[in-house]
Amino acid sequence: MKMGMVIDLEKCIGCRSCMVACKQHNAQPPQTWWNRVFTPGSHRHLTPPAKGVEFFLPVHCQHCENAPCEKVCPVEATYKAEDGAVLIDYERCIGCRYCMSSCPYGVRQFNWEDPEKAHARSEYQEKYHYGYPEEHRHQGRLVYSPLRPKGIVEKCTFCAQYRDRGELPACVRGCPGKARFVGDLDDPDSDVSRMITSRNAFTLLPEKGTKPTVFYLPPKAKEV
Amino acid sequence: MTQKMRTGMVISGALLLVAVAAWIYQLQEGLILTNMQNSYSWGLYISGLAFFVGNAAGGLVLTSSIYLFGVKKLKPLARLGALTAFANVTAAMLIVLPDIGKPVRLYNMLLHPNWMSPLVWDVIVLNLYAVAAAVYLYILMLPELTGRLGWLAIRVNDPHAFSERWARRIAPVALLFAIGIHVVTAWIFSTQGARDWWFSPVMAPDFVSVAIAVGTTVVLLAAALAYGTGEQYQEAYRTLGLIIFMATCVHLFLMANDLVIHAWYGNTETHRIMEIAWGDFGLAHLFEVAAPLLGAWLLTRPQVLGSLPRLLTGSALLIAGVFVHRFLIMPASYNNIPMTLTPFGLPGNHWSLPIASGRLLPGTGTFLDHYAYFPSLVEITILLGIMAYAVFLVLLAIARLPILARENR
Ligand code: SF4
Ligand code: SF4
Repeated sequence: MKMGMVIDLEKCIGCRSCMVACKQHNAQPPQTWWNRVFTPGSHRHLTPPAKGVEFFLPVHCQHCENAPCEKVCPVEATYKAEDGAVLIDYERCIGCRYCMSSCPYGVRQFNWEDPEKAHARSEYQEKYHYGYPEEHRHQGRLVYSPLRPKGIVEKCTFCAQYRDRGELPACVRGCPGKARFVGDLDDPDSDVSRMITSRNAFTLLPEKGTKPTVFYLPPKAKEV
Repeated sequence: MTQKMRTGMVISGALLLVAVAAWIYQLQEGLILTNMQNSYSWGLYISGLAFFVGNAAGGLVLTSSIYLFGVKKLKPLARLGALTAFANVTAAMLIVLPDIGKPVRLYNMLLHPNWMSPLVWDVIVLNLYAVAAAVYLYILMLPELTGRLGWLAIRVNDPHAFSERWARRIAPVALLFAIGIHVVTAWIFSTQGARDWWFSPVMAPDFVSVAIAVGTTVVLLAAALAYGTGEQYQEAYRTLGLIIFMATCVHLFLMANDLVIHAWYGNTETHRIMEIAWGDFGLAHLFEVAAPLLGAWLLTRPQVLGSLPRLLTGSALLIAGVFVHRFLIMPASYNNIPMTLTPFGLPGNHWSLPIASGRLLPGTGTFLDHYAYFPSLVEITILLGIMAYAVFLVLLAIARLPILARENR
């Protein structure tokens, strides 16, 4: 089994629901976003850079097969789960931020201070906490905690806490356009595998050799 | 101990204590006290690592000159070289500590080392080099560890011959580790395929050449301060000056070579790099080229080597230029977002995906594709404190150990 995700850019309406679902479910501290949706070519989201050029690009951890973040991590805090998802052990990470530099996709986020202090600094309502409320361990390693330790790095886990219970990641469930799919890349008959071969799927920055397991389906050409 | 040395130790000791206090404060509050953020995740501390690693090359230059190339006239400076090497390589390791988010967990490097990680390699070679420099210094001092310091000496029949023999044996090993620290430190950056500014095979040789230039300057500076600029030292100083000048030229050549090749081909990544290196940081770039060149040229002039103030000026120019060079490792990398693409339907457009900052930055949005980094007061204090540590250690050793030639103690 090799986990993979397909994002259909034809169906993505740029609503950022996945971005918010991800932020909330994973209790991300203020100014931390594991998942970003932007309008390529434009400095303003949802504002086309040119007439007719209208598509949106969600980017989160690409769970690379040849993941530089995993290779550089001096303490093996960043590791690959048996299904190929790249996870971070919150109890092992020393916070050297080497992985942040080495990731080409800019998805890794550091905890510059205690999350409670960050909440106060951003004037969140006192004692207001959102997100999955329990710690989650995968193969015994802490890969999610509602309040992060200060000084460690975090990123998308493909929602390890949900997948380990057989549920889909929050972004997949939260997408109103049904643009996101997960499945087994090893199985040539899975939905994701078939979409990849039949719809000209591509990956981001293929020239970096990271071999992402997140694939994108190109938007269709618009009528002129 | 002279009055000047005492003053130097008091000032550097005080600075070191202030830096320790700043680090404790940063341990409590987190790296929020620095001016880094997610899209600009390494700053002054890691530039400091590269800077101190370079400074540590003095020991390498002297030992290899004396024992591999037979330049006997440098022998009186050998201990000073080993001492500055030890002080700087330990400083290099110390400056990494405040950059680590969870330093208490560093033991994980021993329990779960990832052998693929260049950072693990670097920690290993830095430690080996520190040990080699210390052992080497000890061997060189051995014949003079008598009287008050007698208890430090291991018992051998003929300390002079023993020292000579072992110095010769250790030299090639130390040389290997010495080159290792520059090469591996460069690899930390140059293995990162995500970053066009770093991903270059020229980085490791360039680190070696910068290190030979600045490490030798550090020894020359220390020697001039300790021994003065008398006639009997001029021959040795001239040799050092020549090494500094040649290494600086090689460094500037390697740097220019890399830029010319990329600029000639003219791809977008290079354009963006050039905009940052020569646009935003144009003046700093000018300084990183002009100051070391001028400094190195001055240090080849007999009039300069014969006068302490001029020699200090030349060395200061070179060291300052190299420091700026180390600072400039970061901006052209971090202000050049790797996740850049040409959107469908917009050929010629290069659009970068902004990165979430991870911390509240008043006056800017959460998502950034450009960030004007300047170190915070805490970062500057800690860096100065580590520099002070190196100075303090050198002064302390000179005061207590037979580092200088007998007549100068
Ligand atoms: S996208 Fe970045 S963080 Fe995710 S696996 Fe690839 S390199 Fe690592
Ligand atoms: S910050 Fe943590 S996860 Fe990233 S490389 Fe360092 S130890 Fe590994």
